[in-house]
Amino acid sequence: MCMPFLARIFTTLALGSLMTTTALHAAEVSPKITVGTQEVGLNAGYLLPHRLTTDHTTKQEGPAFMPYWMMTLTDPIGGSWYRGQISLGAEMVYIQFQEPILTHGIGFAPKIKYTFVALDRIRPYAEFSGGPFWTDLAGKIPEESSQFNFVLMAGFGVSYFLTDQVALNAGYRFQHISNAGTQYPNLGLNASLPYGGFSFFF
Amino acid sequence: MIRHLIHRTILGLVVLTATTTVGCATRWIDVSPSPASRDNPVAQSILNDERVPFVMDGFRMTQNGAPQNPSSEVERRILNTVQETRLFSTLIPFGGNVASPGDKVVTARIAFDETIDSHSGDTAWKGFLIGASMFLLSPVIDLDYDYAAEASLELGRWDGQVKRYTARSSGTVHYTVFAATPTMIGELKGQVTEACLTDLMSQLIQDTNFYVANSAPLPDSSIVSVTVKARKPLPSPASLSVVPVSTTPAP
Repeated sequence: MCMPFLARIFTTLALGSLMTTTALHAAEVSPKITVGTQEVGLNAGYLLPHRLTTDHTTKQEGPAFMPYWMMTLTDPIGGSWYRGQISLGAEMVYIQFQEPILTHGIGFAPKIKYTFVALDRIRPYAEFSGGPFWTDLAGKIPEESSQFNFVLMAGFGVSYFLTDQVALNAGYRFQHISNAGTQYPNLGLNASLPYGGFSFFF
Repeated sequence: MIRHLIHRTILGLVVLTATTTVGCATRWIDVSPSPASRDNPVAQSILNDERVPFVMDGFRMTQNGAPQNPSSEVERRILNTVQETRLFSTLIPFGGNVASPGDKVVTARIAFDETIDSHSGDTAWKGFLIGASMFLLSPVIDLDYDYAAEASLELGRWDGQVKRYTARSSGTVHYTVFAATPTMIGELKGQVTEACLTDLMSQLIQDTNFYVANSAPLPDSSIVSVTVKARKPLPSPASLSVVPVSTTPAP
């Protein structure tokens, strides 16, 4: 019930971004991201569990929403395929755990991203983020005991610029949630998070 | 324990919000030479009929040593600055038509070299630190962006005499993460370019008398004669096909 509803929301958002950029096929799209360029966007995906040890039993899964803001800090670095820019920002992470119990999690994570610019409008990137995360799933599963946790995410993706200012994103993240040993048990929850979304640059 | 952590988190977020909204959004630009130390060029009054046209004959740009396509924006700015000196009657941009080739004109070759250093390595590390501190360090960690411009102006008088002028200016914008905008780089470049061109025009104005029309007569050699000869017709394809070829077999 919930998943089709969320899927519809996400599809609507994606189509909305496409419709707002009807001039998508301008002859040449060559985004000029300079120092100080800001990026806001929304990524959404679905959490898929990884039980890395035999002690991990929980199959947590559910949709995740990640609105974010980034600031470009450097001009392109390097002169080869790895030529890219560094940006710094932060994102909110909301996860609705639908399994094993319907619960929620929300966090705030500073984020650093390296975007490869050699391919012009197709821009792959690598990103890392981490920060505090609260969830009421903890305490109801054997892996986590405290509601206050930290979330660490690392992954890669690609932005496809529809215009100089609008891009669609698709990527993958590995996500780890644990409480940094502030309370035991603290096995941690690990998951894959494939996602899609859009960005607006200004 | 958990309450303690939650309280700390809330306190951190409050401090984060306060610092980011109050103290973080700062930036300033240092330009060398500073505007206060520069003498504004003061144009000498020249009679209108003593002014000669200024013809842009060459324009070259480099960025960090690499040749660039000449920017019409920079060219326009240079011409505007030259115009403000009121030394010349008209300004003809690069590629423009010179009305009377035999008249007295001053030809100009301009080189504009930009040097940009965004301190990418430092910025990356500082960005990592700022992120790791949940942006709490953002008010105290400054990021820098350097820009330097060097303008060289080579002016050739109608009698063949040449004078060269060079001016250099540099600047740095210091900013915190939340104060960064794309316009700040434009502001930095604008101020540095202005300082550079002001210095260049100051040097140019000191030679005002060199560029007035009565400072030198037109040389005789400026009258160029061109001899036109009828072109020798090309051989017809038929004549090309009758090139003798030896078919005698080798012994």
